[in-house]
Amino acid sequence: MKELPQKEGNLFKQLLKCYENKQYKKGLKGAEQILKKFPEHGETLALKGLFYNHLDKKEEAYDFVKKGLRHDLKSHICWHVFGLLYRSDKNYEEALKCYSQALKIDKENLQIMRDYSLLQIHTRNYDAFAETRLQLLEMRPQNRQFWIGLAIAYHMMGKPDLGVKILSVYEETLKDIPSKPDYEHSEMVLYHNSLIEETGDIQGALDHLDSIEQHVCDMKAVRERRAHYLLALDRKEEAEASYRTLLSHNPDNFAYFSGLHKSMGLGDSTEDQAKLLDVFKNLQETYPRSNAAKRLPLRYATGEAFVKIADEYLRNMLRKGVPSLFVNIKTLYADKEKEQAIENLALGYLAALDKSKGFDNSGATVEPPTAVLWTLYFLAQHFDYQRKTGQALEYINRAIQHTPTLVELHMTKGRILKHGGDLVGAKDAVNEARELDLQDRFINSKCTKYMLRADNMAEAEKTVVLFARADLADPLNDLVEMQGMWFSLECGESHLRQGQIGKALKRFHQVEKHFNDFTEDQFDFHMYCLRKMTLRAYISLLKLEDQLRSHPYFVRAAQNAVQCYVSMFDKPDGADSAEMEGMTEAEKKKFRNKQRKAELKAQKEAEEKKALVAQEITKKGGKVDEDPEGLKYLKTEDPLGEALKFLKPLQELAADRIETHLMGFEVYIRKNKLLLALKALLKSHKLDADNATLHEQLVRFALAVQKQQESIKPAVKSVIDQHWSSLYGSFKQSDLAGFTAAFLNKQNKGAVNGKEEEGSVPRLISAAIAVSLIDPAKNKAKAEEILFLMAQDDSKYAKTRSLENCLLARKTLKSLRSDRVQEFTAKAAVWFPKATAFQS
Amino acid sequence: MSPPPASDMNSTTASNDKLKSSAFRVGLGDVTPNNLGQLKRLNTVLFPVTYTVSFYKDVLEVGEFAKIIYFNDICVGGVCCRKEQTPGSTSSQDLYIATLGVLAPYRRLGLGSKLLDHILEHAQLPPTTGPKISKVYLHVQKHNKEALDFYEKRGFKAVEEFPNYYPQLEETGALKLEKVLLGDD
Ligand SMILES: CC(C)(COP(=O)(O)OP(=O)(O)OC[C@H]1O[C@@H](n2cnc3c(N)ncnc32)[C@H](O)[C@@H]1OP(=O)(O)O)[C@@H](O)C(=O)NCCC(=O)NCCS
Repeated sequence: MKELPQKEGNLFKQLLKCYENKQYKKGLKGAEQILKKFPEHGETLALKGLFYNHLDKKEEAYDFVKKGLRHDLKSHICWHVFGLLYRSDKNYEEALKCYSQALKIDKENLQIMRDYSLLQIHTRNYDAFAETRLQLLEMRPQNRQFWIGLAIAYHMMGKPDLGVKILSVYEETLKDIPSKPDYEHSEMVLYHNSLIEETGDIQGALDHLDSIEQHVCDMKAVRERRAHYLLALDRKEEAEASYRTLLSHNPDNFAYFSGLHKSMGLGDSTEDQAKLLDVFKNLQETYPRSNAAKRLPLRYATGEAFVKIADEYLRNMLRKGVPSLFVNIKTLYADKEKEQAIENLALGYLAALDKSKGFDNSGATVEPPTAVLWTLYFLAQHFDYQRKTGQALEYINRAIQHTPTLVELHMTKGRILKHGGDLVGAKDAVNEARELDLQDRFINSKCTKYMLRADNMAEAEKTVVLFARADLADPLNDLVEMQGMWFSLECGESHLRQGQIGKALKRFHQVEKHFNDFTEDQFDFHMYCLRKMTLRAYISLLKLEDQLRSHPYFVRAAQNAVQCYVSMFDKPDGADSAEMEGMTEAEKKKFRNKQRKAELKAQKEAEEKKALVAQEITKKGGKVDEDPEGLKYLKTEDPLGEALKFLKPLQELAADRIETHLMGFEVYIRKNKLLLALKALLKSHKLDADNATLHEQLVRFALAVQKQQESIKPAVKSVIDQHWSSLYGSFKQSDLAGFTAAFLNKQNKGAVNGKEEEGSVPRLISAAIAVSLIDPAKNKAKAEEILFLMAQDDSKYAKTRSLENCLLARKTLKSLRSDRVQEFTAKAAVWFPKATAFQS
Repeated sequence: MSPPPASDMNSTTASNDKLKSSAFRVGLGDVTPNNLGQLKRLNTVLFPVTYTVSFYKDVLEVGEFAKIIYFNDICVGGVCCRKEQTPGSTSSQDLYIATLGVLAPYRRLGLGSKLLDHILEHAQLPPTTGPKISKVYLHVQKHNKEALDFYEKRGFKAVEEFPNYYPQLEETGALKLEKVLLGDD
């Protein structure tokens, strides 16, 4: 360290204080004062940079920190400061290097070591983290935090046994264990207990649990663990007793019932089933208010017993009027027999109610008028679930006529119409629901979503801001600030449908940023949780963060973004909107020109309006969006590279979803990275060899290989050859037609698992595309024929002939420039009479 | 569905000879800007007349004289009244029942009575502003036997006939029914 004279030395110490106390302006002044006399004092220069960083002057910050370092390479302070700077910019790799430099110079610096360890856990560098935590412990063995930090490190490394050892040693050193349960101690011993469980030593965990019970605050956790351990140790009777105790504390916890069930060792035999139902009967008597005790028997009962129990259950709920009844029942529909039984019951109720106001015609009871209402509502949802739009509408309309003021009815009508393909009608129905109850934020959001599904952006924006705080400068942007991801996603998807790629990407990147923020937000917890001893919560936080990007919202954003970037790559002139399906290039050009002119005009008007809005926003102190069109994303030179950025986290965290690899293929084949494309195909194949899209991709891959025969490197070729048969079976590259024919025939052969196999519309689509790619000149008629198979055999294809698949099939026909589009549309209009897309 | 605030929900367990076996809950609720849509919905299906925006604006101002009734937390009926200066008098007001109705499946369960009782009860309380209410009146289509019976049972008397009161409807004739609350003194 380059020494400063005493006066400046003291001033320098004050600078450090300023930093700790976040007095950045004052710190900056102080630094300048020192530098006046000692312009080359490295540490002061570095600190000056750090102050600049906090005053939002990035460039100066880096300048000064680097300058400081140049003047004093041997200063741990300079390196530490550099590390802090990098860390604040989330450049963890560089930050780690700086810290390690600093520690080389000052081996025992507790502060730096601690910061270092935070970064290590944040970047999931577990081994290094454990090493640092060990050093910390060696330096301060009297400090509890360091013991626990090390135990966590071992735990995360996958060595819970070492963690247990550390905690045991530490606990032995404790002289006075608080006699009354103390929260922090309690958390520590419970964490200790969960570590023992993770080593697999259940008996040990149980013994330990007995020994710590008196020190634990969270008694529920102790009871749950005990029951769980007893069950795992196959001590059934004790386990049963434990679960019964738990139930007495909370008779609506499904997990307790399931534990009880397991500990009674009852299987699937009729005899066991009867016993189990008896158990539930007793529980219902003991806990008459428990819904779980009434609902669970429906899961276990079958046949006549099921009908009897379901009858009682449904009557009860319909009489009471429980709006969520169907949602709760439909999980039973995995069993077709139960689904049919429930339908029969509900239809029976309706007939009887119409006739005699009772659930049966016995005349024993008269039900309240709401019984009919809820039965109609239930039936509407039931038939909607089966996508019988016509029937569903009939029941919901009857219900609305009965009680037009009930909000749920209009919501459900909206959902039915949406499933039927009438997006505008759906939106109107949900808007009616909204108007019945203006104070319900949930309905307001749903309504916004439906407006976006109907691509009515203006109406949606107007609706969604109704729930924004009144004092906001820019309520729409506030939704982004509040991480309202559903809104970003729905807006983005609407833009994508309309071919507005820039705006769409802007939305998907918003979602990505939220996820980055979530990851960042965890940083503060590394220190906080150790200090506050919320250990079990901390471990589950770490695990959650590691899985964060497998969240459906992220997956959706990523899939859409990849689609945007791929289409930018394919069509640098701009994406096709839905209207442009099936146009020739010349027509498209003309259409685009016309569109552009209209756009220019609209843009001018929009610009004028925007200027006004911007003025308004600035006046209220908000920040004006400089790039509402998302031009920044459209300008990228490397759309596929951008797509890969979204794909990477999915490959790590959503590798078990076939979509990840199907998307990967789309990117790699365009980058002409044959081996990576192959790898994606292999992964998809492993997950679901029968996937429809996969077949189309396999054909495309084979064609790409064929086309480049000459130029493919031998090494690459040999890898492809090596895997060929696992993907293509016995089919040679020259016989792709046979490959597709076999794929198509597979579904005709039937007899999988002894039952007639359903036809699959997605397969027809994939085969049609494949056929047309194999010989574009000749195979158009053949592709058409394949697609029209779905219209030939109703019973075979009805199941997969969904609205989405029909839209896809038609899109495929259009892209084939088929003459049979209208013919197809007419057929689809019969299958989906409500779908606006098929109305001429 | 937005059930009324708890304080408003003078929850009763009503029963009726036809509905002995099952109890149900009935409660009155205020009309607010947020649930006004429900009242509009009700009036659209119950009455042949279309009411204006200003009608509903006034409804929000009359306090206890506009109410919604809930059956098992579902809005199934309502009443809207307005106060008028008694013609030729400055010391009293009349209360006009513009709409009072219950959805068809929920009739004959005492809900209409509950709405009307509420109105009559409040009409008889000393007013917070303005002069006392001396009478309550309304118009009913001449052929609406259900409504006529309903009001006559509660002491309303037909006082005037208007053969062409609803010119836009098929049945144009109406009766004016009224109930006097205060004796002339
Ligand atoms: C008039 C109306 C409000 C009555 O509502 P309601 O909830 O059925 O009334 P109640 O259940 O409180 O009935 C009270 C009494 O009115 C009488 N009443 C109601 N409907 C009747 C009918 N259809 N026939 C004979 N008497 C009837 C009965 O005496 C009844 O008592 P009871 O059931 O003990 O015999 C309802 O029929 C209605 O909404 N009609 C359409 C709207 C309308 O015409 N409103 C009047 C113009 S403002």
